[in-house]
Amino acid sequence: MSTIFKKRNILLWLLAVAFLTPIITLFYLSFSKDWRFPAILPEQFTTESWRYLFFSGGNIGPSFVISLVIALSVATFATLLGFITSKYIAYHKYRKKLLMLTYFPFALSPVIFALCLKFYFIKMSLTGNLQGIILAQLIIALPYSVIFFTGFWNQRIKQYEDLVATLGGTTSYAFRKIVMPIAKSLILVCFFQCFLISWFEFGLTSIIGYGKVETLTIKVFQFISEANIFYAALSCCLLILPPVILLWFNKKFIIQQAK
Amino acid sequence: MFKKPVNIISFLLLFVFAILPLALGFSFALAYSFGLIGALNKGFTLDNWSALFESNDVIVSFIYSGWLAIASLTLSVVISMAIAIIFHKKFTKGIYSYLIYMPLAFPSIVAAFFFAQFLGNAGILSRIFYQLGIIDKIQSFPNLVNDQYNIGIIIAQFFLSLPFFTLLYTGLYQTERIDEYAQLANSLGAKKSQSIFRISIPILLKKSFPNIVMYFIFKLGAYEVPLLLGRSSPETVSVLAVRKLQKFNLYDIPQGYAVAVIYTIIILSLLIIVLRTNKNEYDI
Repeated sequence: MSTIFKKRNILLWLLAVAFLTPIITLFYLSFSKDWRFPAILPEQFTTESWRYLFFSGGNIGPSFVISLVIALSVATFATLLGFITSKYIAYHKYRKKLLMLTYFPFALSPVIFALCLKFYFIKMSLTGNLQGIILAQLIIALPYSVIFFTGFWNQRIKQYEDLVATLGGTTSYAFRKIVMPIAKSLILVCFFQCFLISWFEFGLTSIIGYGKVETLTIKVFQFISEANIFYAALSCCLLILPPVILLWFNKKFIIQQAK
Repeated sequence: MFKKPVNIISFLLLFVFAILPLALGFSFALAYSFGLIGALNKGFTLDNWSALFESNDVIVSFIYSGWLAIASLTLSVVISMAIAIIFHKKFTKGIYSYLIYMPLAFPSIVAAFFFAQFLGNAGILSRIFYQLGIIDKIQSFPNLVNDQYNIGIIIAQFFLSLPFFTLLYTGLYQTERIDEYAQLANSLGAKKSQSIFRISIPILLKKSFPNIVMYFIFKLGAYEVPLLLGRSSPETVSVLAVRKLQKFNLYDIPQGYAVAVIYTIIILSLLIIVLRTNKNEYDI
């Protein structure tokens, strides 16, 4: 019994190491210099990469802000519009067919989808600028949001709305006082998920952005192409931080809801 | 159909963001591949399609993408199922319930970069092996990145999908009351292995099958990980399409769109099959 217990503990430790090693490694590399084979640890521990990229023309700060603006815009629009659209689909007589149509753009590879749509984006002068990327990412994030919320609009919610109407309440009153308080937590979770979809996006952004809009993922790819692992690691750290915080909030939030 | 203005807005949103882009994108790719539009095209022709199938590139590319998706998915499903069966209590509360979310914070491009640094010839694993005396020079370490067997790609994709399936299976383990079924079987004389292989695994597999197929569909279009950790040949579908459409040879563009057309048809067909066979809701 004790052997099994110990084996289980070893497996759990291995899993913990597997989950934590990437984050620790990337942070460590971002503070490193001169990492020659066969040294396991880099020879110098320095804040040089961080200082250069933020204060000496490394342009990582603007990339972080651009990524943040795009992700927040996409998450806000996708969540709000998805919430409205999902109600229409959920109570529609062709619910399943409409939902299937919603799945299509979400399931396709963003990079191939972007290549097929690039012509239209060029015609509308939406390539190489922020608006174009936000619109392109919405084509992926909005269907996700619609699918996410469709399950929320069930018979119970409809009955609550009908009850308010029977008692003389208006549609907007039912929405503000009944629907919104119930949907609050889901809206927040959906916002986080859409933020992450946008934050993680690389293929579609590189095609529609033409490399002119330098989001963090584009920066990471540039640094990898230049074989600059220390700057790439730093950009990776900046890419990971917001999702870690959001996922932690998400998890905390879900736990509180469950309790 | 449109009793309220909000319904018109909802329909318009659905049309503009879901239906229209797909219809426009697909028809553009189709027309381009048949020579109906495009700078160098001169009218309807099947030449682009026949040129595409003259080499085996496209068929190999689809098989290769499918193989990578199946390999990483199999690994993820088996290991996450084992985690759910053995450690289901550990992953529902406490530190592990947080740790499991860590890989979800990794964009594909970051995971690819990390595994290139970890598994590469001069990577962390190679350095540890050297320090332990297992290898004596950098070349002695086996190629695990940009390698023949795609080990780097499979491990990176496995790392990215493991939390999704672990959370799915630990959730299913509770909602499907598998523990209670297993206890009932054990009290009726079944061995532990029998309750695992005849109760737990079949229930988990059956309930997660639509998710597995959906994940397969997503992985079929994977781009960043194969781009950074794969070899130049064979290429995954996304990498092949980008190469044909973004590089310098203008005569390759119609073939690139033909690849996009084939990919879209395959994905949409798979999606229709999985959504139709899934009797439950399509909710995420």
